[in-house]
Amino acid sequence: MLKTSFALDPRYFQVIFQAVFLSYGIIYLHSGADWPHYIISIGGCLLFQYAAESIRLQKPLPVFGNSAGNWSLSVLISAMSLCLLLKTNHWYVSLLATFITVAGKYIFRFDKKHIFNPSAFGIVVTIFLTQDAWLSPGQWGSNTVIFFLVITLGTIVVTRVQKLDISLAFLFTYVGLLYWRQIMVLGWPMDFFLHSVSTGSLLLFTFFMISDPKTSPNHPAARIIWAILIAAVAFYLSAFKWKYNTLIWVLVAAAPLVPLLNKFFAAKYFEWKPPLRKMQRINLLRP
Amino acid sequence: MKKKLMIIGAVIAASPLIMSFCGFYVAKADGTLKNKTSQVILVRDGNRNVITMYNDFKGNFKDFAMVVPVPVVLKEKDIKVVDQTIFNTLNEYSKPRLVEYYDQNPCSYGVDKELQSRAPGLSMDEVVVTGYGARKKEERVKIEAKYIVGEYDILILSAKESSGLKDWLTENGYKIPAGADEVLEPYIKSNLKFFVVKVNEKEMGKLNNNFLRPLQISFTSPKFMLPIRLGMANADGDQDMIVYAFTKKGRIEATNYRTVSLPTGNDIPLFVKNNFGNFYANLFNNQWNKEGKGIAMLEYAWDVSPKNFVKCDPCVATAPSQQDLVQAGVWWLGRDWNDYSDVNDGEDETYSDNVYFTRLHVRYNRNSFPQDLTFQVTPNIENYQARYVIHHPATGDFNCDAGKKYLKELKERRKNEMENLAYLTGKSYSDWDVVTNDAEEKFVPAEAAYQTVAATTNKNKGRDKSLLFATISVAGLITLAGFRPKKKSKE
Repeated sequence: MLKTSFALDPRYFQVIFQAVFLSYGIIYLHSGADWPHYIISIGGCLLFQYAAESIRLQKPLPVFGNSAGNWSLSVLISAMSLCLLLKTNHWYVSLLATFITVAGKYIFRFDKKHIFNPSAFGIVVTIFLTQDAWLSPGQWGSNTVIFFLVITLGTIVVTRVQKLDISLAFLFTYVGLLYWRQIMVLGWPMDFFLHSVSTGSLLLFTFFMISDPKTSPNHPAARIIWAILIAAVAFYLSAFKWKYNTLIWVLVAAAPLVPLLNKFFAAKYFEWKPPLRKMQRINLLRP
Repeated sequence: MKKKLMIIGAVIAASPLIMSFCGFYVAKADGTLKNKTSQVILVRDGNRNVITMYNDFKGNFKDFAMVVPVPVVLKEKDIKVVDQTIFNTLNEYSKPRLVEYYDQNPCSYGVDKELQSRAPGLSMDEVVVTGYGARKKEERVKIEAKYIVGEYDILILSAKESSGLKDWLTENGYKIPAGADEVLEPYIKSNLKFFVVKVNEKEMGKLNNNFLRPLQISFTSPKFMLPIRLGMANADGDQDMIVYAFTKKGRIEATNYRTVSLPTGNDIPLFVKNNFGNFYANLFNNQWNKEGKGIAMLEYAWDVSPKNFVKCDPCVATAPSQQDLVQAGVWWLGRDWNDYSDVNDGEDETYSDNVYFTRLHVRYNRNSFPQDLTFQVTPNIENYQARYVIHHPATGDFNCDAGKKYLKELKERRKNEMENLAYLTGKSYSDWDVVTNDAEEKFVPAEAAYQTVAATTNKNKGRDKSLLFATISVAGLITLAGFRPKKKSKE
């Protein structure tokens, strides 16, 4: 029997980093803490996830203790994304967003995986349905301090979960296209371009949303193709169609491609588990 | 304790206000250019935009010229002049406000004075000298349209390359400010047109006005933005711009800069009353610096729909009427909903008489604002006003238990007021020209006087400890992350 008693789940870090961003916004950027929204986002996500998971397994799950992390951690990450990104006027819109976030995971499934990034799906559907919620692309400003902070912290999270391939492929494509458009085609000065790429919103998306291993393709080549596709479409819509928040909308729209890509590029699918050492794997295989 | 409420109008003025729109003024070779504060009304719904530009040009009108980049070639019916009083109405209504309360003596009742005064208004000052010469043809520049609207001669230009446009403007007597090159090229490549305005002397003569009326343009474009970069070309230092925005849904916010609301509702010392304009100027400047400059400051946000009766709380001036709103460009008010001829693209509109008002104050400069301001309409309907509170002390004898308690509270409150003052404006007691009302203050014991309280005030209150907080948490997290989880296997 294998036990990994001291290994910390990388998702803990992810939740903590998201909490740091949230406090940074509230304390340093004075972005105005919307406590009811935070409480409902976290409470609602946990509640709906608990109910859904209990129904799926047909037994009540432990609410506390180590094993509670199994059902709660992923949804906590989604809940934190809702806190960080989504804004609403009313508590019931926040609640609806949590419901859609969780329900999306259980309704849209293919091959034992959910199709949509839960929080992205929750955000997009809530905005679309209610017209009473919004995203603030400018909320993080373009401060270089936060730029480096996000990059470093985000990198740590990503490297612990999976390779940086998807984030980097996305970032290079998107930033490259912006450079091409703003500097080479339109001839804006350099600081114009730097202002575009140093927004916290872009980096949060790169390291905390598109990198989600559960909803991205399994095969490395497929992941890179997928990341480039999202970057290119999102760039096109923002640069030529003058749309905002295109990244998140395109991410949701591109999600149904993942099962397709997985079919063409067969690979083992991702499980949230601490990595096993080779020796242990061999032990496992022994009778 | 019963309190009486009074309101004093406030003046928004950080530096002497000098006005221009975000386009740039072009001047004669020897013209001195100054371009400091502009006011602009933005009305937006769907892809339809109405922009009204205030003009405070003083001087010889034939020297006036203005260039504004616009996304489309405007038709004659899309350009009009409006009554300039609308800007005054909107400014008076939405500017930061000072609220005044009178304490009542807990030992006796009935002695209170009513005072009402207005902070002296700072005048919007002198502007811009500009020039306009003879017109000449240039092939690389195409004159898309040519109109006379009100007292203005209007040209809409498109260009293939910036040097062509630059040459055309120069040859036609416009002096292009240094630094304009940097933005002309990207604007041309983004397919923007140039809305060029000068005063038609004949029409101006007929009007016999000594001012220029605001120009209002409407067009359909997905771009919801203000081209501030062009205006920076001839600005020395910081420029202020007040944006009054109207939408059906809710607040507008900047999408490429942070939108920050000022601290509001704070108790501030009584002696600020006669200096409120100065107080607010310091507050704005201090907060702007603290927030890192590259921001849009929210000064007011309110539902001003004709059906909403509470248009401010408290009100410093009359709320804009339906006619005012229509004048400001809110086309969906009072229109005939069977006639869509006023909507130039025939875009379907849903009926609404909602009007949501946002006032943003942007102080920009070349370094902090590398990009033009872009905005979005959000469904955010939370009302906001920049509001500051002063309290007049009670007068009379305090020789009763409640009176002693009151004096103790008064001292504490004043201490808090002094701390707020330092936090908001970054200035301490000695920086203020303290004028007190002796009739009021003579009843206040020395220990509760501002001067005494100021000496014991902790000036660091509210100082940002966030940097410390952030550093500690980041350090903690990195330590945590560096911690290598151990794995243990058991048979």
